[in-house]
Amino acid sequence: MTTGSSSPESDAAGSAGAPLAVELRGITKRFPGVVANKDIELRVRRGEVHAVVGENGAGKSTLMKTLYGEHRPDEGQILLDGREVRFRNPSDAIAAGIGMVHQHFMLADNFTVLENVVLGSEPTRGGRLDLAEARRRITEISDRYALGLRPDDLVEDLGVGDRQRVEIAKVLYRDARTLILDEPTAVLVPQEVDELFGNLAELKREGLTVIFISHKLDEVRRVADSITVIRRGTTVGTADPRATTTKQLAEMMVGSELPLPEKRESTVRETPVLELTDVRVDDGGGRPAVDGVTMTVREGEVVGIAGVEGNGQAELVDAIMGLRPLAGGEIALAGEDVTSWSTRARREAGVGFIPEDRHRQGMLLDAPLWENRILGHQTRPPASRGVFIDRSGSRADTARIMQEYDVRAPGPDTLAVALSGGNQQKLIVGREMSATPRLLVAAHPTRGVDVGAQAAIWELLKDARAAGMAIVLISADLDELIGLSDSLYVMLRGRLVASLDPASCTPEQLGGYMTGARTEAGAA
Amino acid sequence: MSRTSAVLRRIGFALFGPLLAVVVALAISAVVIALIGEDPLTAFQVMVDLGDTPSQQVQSIVVILNRAVPLFLAGLAVAVAFRMGLFNIGVEGQYRLATILAAAVGAAIVLPGPLHVLVVVLVAMVVGALWAGIVGVLKVTRGVSEVISSIMLNFIALGLSSYLLTGPLRGSPPGASIITTAEIPESGRFPSLNGLLTGLGLAAPRSGLYGFLLVAAVAGVLVAVLLKRTRFGFDLRATGLSPSAAAASGVDARAMVVKTMLISGAIAGLIGLPDLLGSQFDYGTEFTAGLGFLGIAVALLGRSTPLGIALAALLFAFLDRAALPLQFADIPSSVVTIIQGTIVLAVVVANEIARRLALRSAERAGAAADAGPAGGGTGGGAPPATGPDGGRRVRTGVPDTPEDVQA
Repeated sequence: MTTGSSSPESDAAGSAGAPLAVELRGITKRFPGVVANKDIELRVRRGEVHAVVGENGAGKSTLMKTLYGEHRPDEGQILLDGREVRFRNPSDAIAAGIGMVHQHFMLADNFTVLENVVLGSEPTRGGRLDLAEARRRITEISDRYALGLRPDDLVEDLGVGDRQRVEIAKVLYRDARTLILDEPTAVLVPQEVDELFGNLAELKREGLTVIFISHKLDEVRRVADSITVIRRGTTVGTADPRATTTKQLAEMMVGSELPLPEKRESTVRETPVLELTDVRVDDGGGRPAVDGVTMTVREGEVVGIAGVEGNGQAELVDAIMGLRPLAGGEIALAGEDVTSWSTRARREAGVGFIPEDRHRQGMLLDAPLWENRILGHQTRPPASRGVFIDRSGSRADTARIMQEYDVRAPGPDTLAVALSGGNQQKLIVGREMSATPRLLVAAHPTRGVDVGAQAAIWELLKDARAAGMAIVLISADLDELIGLSDSLYVMLRGRLVASLDPASCTPEQLGGYMTGARTEAGAA
Repeated sequence: MSRTSAVLRRIGFALFGPLLAVVVALAISAVVIALIGEDPLTAFQVMVDLGDTPSQQVQSIVVILNRAVPLFLAGLAVAVAFRMGLFNIGVEGQYRLATILAAAVGAAIVLPGPLHVLVVVLVAMVVGALWAGIVGVLKVTRGVSEVISSIMLNFIALGLSSYLLTGPLRGSPPGASIITTAEIPESGRFPSLNGLLTGLGLAAPRSGLYGFLLVAAVAGVLVAVLLKRTRFGFDLRATGLSPSAAAASGVDARAMVVKTMLISGAIAGLIGLPDLLGSQFDYGTEFTAGLGFLGIAVALLGRSTPLGIALAALLFAFLDRAALPLQFADIPSSVVTIIQGTIVLAVVVANEIARRLALRSAERAGAAADAGPAGGGTGGGAPPATGPDGGRRVRTGVPDTPEDVQA
């Protein structure tokens, strides 16, 4: 069981001898085919705001889920106030005084603030809901931490900042002493960020501990008392925000050591393959997710797009693939306007696609490998003959792909779900390469694959480029971007804000542009 | 070799769920029968007893087959939509409306034999397809859940056919206790297969074996080919397995929804025809109802594959036939309904168990394969695992042109 929430509240702010509020020792968490966290060390003092920073996919969320009891670590210990705890589920974590404010709010719109806060732990008296007591406690919490909540407001009438405060109140209502805030500023405008930081200061003053997950380094430096940096699933170090510059933090985050691959001679040819002209895509809510992107990809050229996730890269990929309608602009493939073409027509015209989320867009997990070979190539040999599926042809070709691209599986009839992430990805890469596309859209092609597969995929992309393929490469791995790209753009809030020469730029520079810390007048 | 074993394993898992469901359902039913004070063994004996004389047995089998044909078509109609992840609950309304209109058209026209039947069949299919098509169009244009709209359309279809039956399409004399449409003339009836039975040396049954059995068989084969062998079927199944992956592969999800509903509805239109063209010859207040809903159960039990649905339809028909003998034996015939109901519940649970077992076995197989070649040397030019940075320079034997592959 857990240690309960009777922790000593007297030792408020970081007296040296006091036990740490939260300590993680050697946390390792594996998922099939991936090690999400490896030997993570985290030491959070009571009464501080502790930031955990790292790129997307670095393992921050996995770590916080471990701490919040959503899954159990494979190795390592969790200590609260110096005592080891084992959480079987979030209820155990809540009972131990840990609360989580998720990035995406989990509120019922048609309920009042009061109802949302008590939802799930309703106070009762004689079996009936005791709203008077709940109202008293919520008002007390709101006053104490200056949250400014009115219990009877409907949540649907509240702005984003207020909703976030409701989430915080929910956690405090359950007597949390340690709050985990997962990317809390991602949804806020600067003014709301200031308000949030004011609230965090109140929480700190009351002796509460805050773990603050972010990749926005400037904000982190403003609000945090100490920082732990995570990269590729493991802790790379801690930093004092007062003594560290944003640049140094970025270096820690993306890895400063940079063994640039031996730069091959350029294979860029003259013929443009993909031309985007002022492409705009709506995010569904009327705001532009992609805002006036213009770029050209030529034969034998790899165009890399760097950016913090959620800045329009996914929407740009969808637009190129025809999965999302354009709000404006034009897309041309090999000189032909394909703006109104269907996804299938584009694929038939020679567009290959390595999707960001292979389980969602790249595979039929419950189907055998040979059917996955057909996916995306339904209308072309060897997958089909006329209106019929060529079963033996695609089986044979699947066997060939497995051989050539080193996909380790019992055979073409194996279900895709049985393969490790790396093998699934190699199958997808092999499948897309086998159709010898003119243009390959590769979104995070090596995400979540092991080192061997990563190297193999890199090599394949380079060979394809040498053979004249045009490649759009979107990645969160800056080494990958710099190592593979012939030209490099940075995407921020839907725009291409910088155009860099991968031969001379460094991950730190790139990181600066990605977070908006640097700007460039001469952006393309 | 490994391919056949993989296929065999999959078939094993495919059979495991339904078989488990039937066994569990029988066990539960036995308990229920015992609780109402009857002997379960006697009840089961009555159910499997097809008759004493050869002619009785042939008659029983004909009754089972005649019931199985519409059930099979109903299961097929549900399954086609099911394979794409669409829940067509509107099969009931689709076939009722299709049948009454087909009956009216069949009675109104006179054509030479096969042509007459063909017209009736086509009318039924078109009506069913159009009625189901409404569901598809509502879904892609307005985002209405097909579950909701198809249930709603059931009520409209039933109301509409009642109105048509008592109003414009009424063919029975006023005052008759059973209201029906006009009778379809001889040329529009589907000949029975009794000649085939006697030709095989079997006793002639009292009622005719529906010739529509052949149509159902053809429909089953066509659906099997469509789903398994054609591009369209692949797109359909891919959409059912993962709508997002299908869309990324170039499937137009909206068009697929409409097309699938049209096909499902066209098959649904056939459901009433075995009875209409084989024994009733008119549509009336007493016409077989509920086949659309039973079709959902049959499709579930048959795991949405034509062969499975055929077996499931035969099982349900077999159970239905037993209702009458059970009554003769003073055992409530609702035992049959209980068995069918528990089968449906059990099959949902059992399918899930089977799915997990299959998944686990597949994962084991995959893991074994992953470990295998790695230990046994690099057969296909596997890149050795190197450090994160050095890995970039690793040479692989995998260029993008198949010709220069090094073995």
